[in-house]
This record gives sequence, C-alpha cells and structure tokens, in this order.
Amino acid sequence: MSASMSHGASAEPNLTPILDMVFQLITFFMLVINFKAAAMDMELKLPVVGSARPVDTEGREDLLILNIDSQGRLRLFGRLIDDVKQTIAAEAQASLEIARKADPKLKKGDELPSTVVVRADKRTPFAMLNNIIQICQQNGYRKFALKAMNRTETP
Amino acid sequence: MRHKKKRHQDEVELNLTAMLDMAFQLLAFFILTFKPSPVEGQILLRMPPPQPVTNVNAGQPAGNNPQNTNPLSGLNTLTITAFANGDGSLKQMQVGESIMTTLPALDRKLAAVLSDPGSGFDQVIVQVDSRLHYDSLMQVIDVCTRQKLPSGEQLSKLSFVELPVGG
Repeated sequence: MSASMSHGASAEPNLTPILDMVFQLITFFMLVINFKAAAMDMELKLPVVGSARPVDTEGREDLLILNIDSQGRLRLFGRLIDDVKQTIAAEAQASLEIARKADPKLKKGDELPSTVVVRADKRTPFAMLNNIIQICQQNGYRKFALKAMNRTETP
Repeated sequence: MRHKKKRHQDEVELNLTAMLDMAFQLLAFFILTFKPSPVEGQILLRMPPPQPVTNVNAGQPAGNNPQNTNPLSGLNTLTITAFANGDGSLKQMQVGESIMTTLPALDRKLAAVLSDPGSGFDQVIVQVDSRLHYDSLMQVIDVCTRQKLPSGEQLSKLSFVELPVGG
C-alpha cells in the first residue's frame, strides 16, 4: 500500500489504528494456539465417558502421549512407530533423566513419576491396548491417564 | 495516537506499510492454522503390573475358612471380569459369582462390595476379554473409578489382565 499522491495534495491514511487492531488479533491467536495438539492424533475417535474430566498439569508433569489407532498401531508426534518396545524404552530413559533432576537416587527399573497419556480410538481392541500398556509397565511407568471425551462431539 | 509534529523544514514519517503487510501475513497464518482442539477429559489410574491374587487379610485365609460364605471375603484384590460380544461390545460382567449385564447393575454391586468396611479391598483387577473395544472398557473403568473405598478414598488402583478369546 502506498499513499496516493496527486499534484497538489497528498492523501495519507492513518494506519496506526488498523495496525493496533491487527497486532491485537495476532496476540490473541498466539495466545490461544495449542502447541500440545502436535502430540495428539486428531483423527482418533475417543470414547465418551461422563466422568472424564480435563486436568491441566500446567506443564509441570512429564507426559508421554501415546496415540493408538483402531488397528492397534502406535503414533508418537504423528510418526508411526514400528518398534514399540524400543521406542517406549527410549522414552522411559528420557523420563528417567528428567526424574533424576528431582531425585538423583532413581535408577533404571524404578517407578517413574511420569504419566502415560493413552489416547486410543474407541474401536481399539483391548488386546492391542494391553500390549502397549504392559510395555509401559515393564519400563517403570505406573501412572496412566486414559483419555476420553466427556461429551459427544457435534460435527 | 499522537498528532504529527510539523516542523518548518523536516517532517519525520514512519512508513507503517511494510509493518502492516507483515502483520497481515502473520494474522493470515494464525487464522488459517487456527483449529481449536476439543476439550478432552481423562481418567487417572495407578496401574501396577498385575500381581497374583494371593494377597489375603491376616487371619482370614481365602478358601480355607469354612465359615466364610462370601467368596470375595479375605481378599485385598477384587476381580471383575468383562466379557465381550463378537463385535467388541460389552456382553456381561462378573464379580465373584454374580453376573451382570448392565453397567448400573455393576455399579450397584461394586458399591455394595467396596463400601463394606469388612471387605478390605484396596485394588481391582479387571480381567478383560481381548476383543473388548476401548470404549466399552472405559465404561467399566468409569464405573470402577466412581467407587469409594471404606477409607473414603476414590478407587484408583486398577490392573488389567487379558482374557483369551472366548474367556
């Protein structure tokens, strides 16, 4: 955009109010952008459970978010995982390193303070879900958060 | 907003056009990528690996007490079995020798068993049919986690054991 110039007079619109408004809009969108959504597979259809309540850990708790589709395939940050055992073992090692900052005595095989967030499709058979839960348990995870919607989504 | 200072010779004007262009581009990016994620709830569980159900209350060995007419009495761990239909939906549930086909019936049974001060249950093992779908399992877990122990605490210690197909 440029101010139009004529022979004798120059018309310059005052851009300050529009710039103020645009910056306010940008601030709004930056504040509401959800970075956590990157770890979630939004294609999954979660079950609806009335007593499921949203809990905000305010970023203070280490979370391992597992997305399990109806075929029992595991996705982490949108990436399909082939070797589930190795991947979860690596995640457990990372969780252990984080936990050691608070408790240096923790060693491999101890109970991890991290929470495993299970986001499974509502049609996932238990056998496939249990397989992944067991691998997590073998790696020291004990705290699990099973995700569900607390009301039906309207399209 | 300020009034422009006008001086006799020089006039300093900030060119806001470039900044406005950039701001609009940022705004367009945020509008296009904005997708409000639905609010998800969760059920928090403490799930230790399943242990053999041999934990018994002192002085009351399970199965060895002829006065004990309640098969659940004497155990610290309550076992619930969830059976599935072929399509993965919930067929029936079993607590002790009682069989229930609806979730409200399971709720009543668990409330009766767990609220008994003499029961001493502190954890639940759910034996789950391997075909059972996650949404049906969550309905059972939902009923379990709503129960209160005699101590007043909410039941949160659950373990899962997989039943082979056909139970």
